[in-house]
Amino acid sequence: MARILAVDDSPSMRQLVKLALSSGGHEVDVATDGVEALQVAEKQQFDIVITDVNMPNMDGISLVRELRRRTNYRFTPLLMLTTESTAERKQQGKEAGATGWLVKPFDPDRLLSIVTKVLA
Amino acid sequence: MATAAADTRCRCATLGVSAEAAAILLAFAMRESETPAVELGSALERLGQGLRPASAPAGEALTRDLAACVRALQFHDRLMQQLAVIRNLLTRLADHPLPQMAGFGAQRWEELLAALRERLAAGSHDELFELLVRTGGVGAACGAGAGQAEGSSELF
Repeated sequence: MARILAVDDSPSMRQLVKLALSSGGHEVDVATDGVEALQVAEKQQFDIVITDVNMPNMDGISLVRELRRRTNYRFTPLLMLTTESTAERKQQGKEAGATGWLVKPFDPDRLLSIVTKVLA
Repeated sequence: MATAAADTRCRCATLGVSAEAAAILLAFAMRESETPAVELGSALERLGQGLRPASAPAGEALTRDLAACVRALQFHDRLMQQLAVIRNLLTRLADHPLPQMAGFGAQRWEELLAALRERLAAGSHDELFELLVRTGGVGAACGAGAGQAEGSSELF
């Protein structure tokens, strides 16, 4: 079981990610944007962070960049979960330090298998 | 000449009011559908908690149905995102003074389009906008293009 932080500005998407990951036995906390995610991540350590890209206040790519600056998140899997699928945006995510890029809509089983894979 | 100019100004003002009204209606509709979607998500979450551990055959079937609900409900989120982009474009259109300026032509139109493009955050929104501008509608080509990347994953 992993401790996962799911970041998305959409309330329904936060619920769906939480539902999908909880069904795999993971403990899931949520945040509404990059700023809140950073605050939550500083208070407790997560095994994986899954974040949307386009969010108010701080976008997902900036969040990944910020997390990678922190020593306790240097090697933590950071996954982008977004509707964006252009090579340019993926490259930005990769350069920021993202571990992987998942395009919505996600399949719950597939998401769980990816989480298992990046945790291994 | 003066009558034609007044007529153009009147039509531009009507267009602006219509765009603003459309943006407001969209905003209301989006807000109205948000709460039911969240309630549905909460209900699914409770169902999911009740199903664990899903060892019995009936539990497995329900788990599959739950996964189908998770996939399906994401399209509501996508719709909301697209509507938000359209709402923003309409607001921009209502606010934009370009059509009311003298000599509104191809160059000004390009300036207006460039201003609207700046507001598009996601690549998919950009593609949608380009299709609308070129064809005046979204056909099967858009759906086919958008579908290729859906649900894909890539580990770096």
